[in-house]
Amino acid sequence: MRGPERRNSTPTTTVIARRSRWQALHLGELWTYRELLYLLAWRDIKVRYKQAVLGVLWALIQPFVKMVVFSMVFGRLAGIDSGGFPYAVFVYAGLLPWGLFADSLTRSGHSLVASASLVRKAHIPRVIMPAASVMSAVFDYGISLCLLLGLVVYFGLPWRVEFLLIVLLTLVTMLVALGVGFFVSALNAAYRDVQYVIPFLTQIWMFLTPVIYPVTAIPERFRWLILANPMSGIISAYRAVILGGAIPWDQLGISVGIGLGLFIAGLAFFRSMDRHFADII
Amino acid sequence: MITHQGSAIISEGLGKQYHIGRQSQRYRTLRDTISNAVRHPAQRFKRTGHQGTDGPNTIWALSDVSFTVSQGAVFGIIGPNGSGKSTLLQILGQITEPTEGCAEIRGRVGCVLGVGTGFHPELTGRENVFLSGIILGMTRKEIRSKLDEIVAFAGVEQFMETPVKHYSSGMTVRLGFAVAAHVEPDVLLIDEVLAVGDAAFQRQCLHKMHEVAASGRTVVFVSHNLPVIRSLTQQVLWLEQGMVRMVGETHSVCNAYESQDQNR
Repeated sequence: MRGPERRNSTPTTTVIARRSRWQALHLGELWTYRELLYLLAWRDIKVRYKQAVLGVLWALIQPFVKMVVFSMVFGRLAGIDSGGFPYAVFVYAGLLPWGLFADSLTRSGHSLVASASLVRKAHIPRVIMPAASVMSAVFDYGISLCLLLGLVVYFGLPWRVEFLLIVLLTLVTMLVALGVGFFVSALNAAYRDVQYVIPFLTQIWMFLTPVIYPVTAIPERFRWLILANPMSGIISAYRAVILGGAIPWDQLGISVGIGLGLFIAGLAFFRSMDRHFADII
Repeated sequence: MITHQGSAIISEGLGKQYHIGRQSQRYRTLRDTISNAVRHPAQRFKRTGHQGTDGPNTIWALSDVSFTVSQGAVFGIIGPNGSGKSTLLQILGQITEPTEGCAEIRGRVGCVLGVGTGFHPELTGRENVFLSGIILGMTRKEIRSKLDEIVAFAGVEQFMETPVKHYSSGMTVRLGFAVAAHVEPDVLLIDEVLAVGDAAFQRQCLHKMHEVAASGRTVVFVSHNLPVIRSLTQQVLWLEQGMVRMVGETHSVCNAYESQDQNR
């Protein structure tokens, strides 16, 4: 319903009436409104680093400090086995995709509420808002990625063609993040409790994902937990790409499947709430 | 519904129900859902009448609103505060959904419900023009070609690279209106944006509105300012407590509205 009048200039007729709860997914909207998507993501990025002396450098400093702290606590003190690789690279290869996921989730969770005036006053598809949040998180992630490549050089790891798979893994992470992001952003518009839950959610989810420890540290009987968690497959694959292990294609395949399912279910849920957003936000 | 030739907007029995009070809403829903289902089993299948549930915690912000706006007309909506004017525009702009009834709009719809929609205080004037313009339905190319015109209209040429947070409130409002005034849809919905700025800027806005009206576009326009309504519109809808009190030719509706206002 939204959007077609923008696509061409020939007169179109818009019919306004109460719609049924379940609407078509209208994935094309994300493409039709790509200028807006891009501009909202750009706004998020620009506003985040305004009036900060170090500016975009923060996107490097934050994961770097995390890596150092995790290396000391989990690598040295707890002595987690990183399979013979420097723990710093090992943990950073997990923290990086995880950071993209967690950031996307946090930002998209707040996206609708943060743009409440737009929701109430502008005729734009609201799916753009969580999507723009994920895109702005990708920007930070891109900067943090440079640090990973720096670590590869520093620790003298070989450069491999498989590094190109990072692009694919990034896209899968975005898919999963957007799927969950649709749920949390729509729920947060109705119940502000969600914004207090998101930090716990990402924290607990992180400890259930092999970010700071290797997959092999998980007992066999909890193996289903790894399979059910799309981020596990992604992070295992990410690590394999960087450190040069065998890429767990089967696990990654399951992650993609679950990611697609989450994305479609999330979008359908978001659409079902969409018609009430202006009234409840 | 068949669109009559020459009409830009046809509204048939639009209604909008809101729930008020979250705490009692759950109670109402539970009780009413059950009791309605028991008492009026047939009501679910009927499409006539109010489709929502009536109860002590619901209000009808709009009810049975029907009117037609012909193509190229300037159509005013008047009424006291809380009479449902903004809700009607929200429905026509597809921002919220009607609870009942339907409407049909021919052509590209532009919806200006506030001045500076999408403005962010940290961004510069130029950046905000692009952001707001895209949100209001322009393309970047369109904005680029109209940028000079917009900036000149707002009179903020030397502040385009300054963050809007350093603007005076008047400057922000002028820039916001300037963007809105340069959106060129077939049907333009405007909510009370002329009530901003100083007298000179209001004259400038009015002039722009006349221009828009003369260009053959359809304009639906909410205002408390009767002189402006009289000078701009041909037809007026008078809303009172969410219902149509009167709809028709501007002069007679405005006269009736004013005489009722004096009696209050």
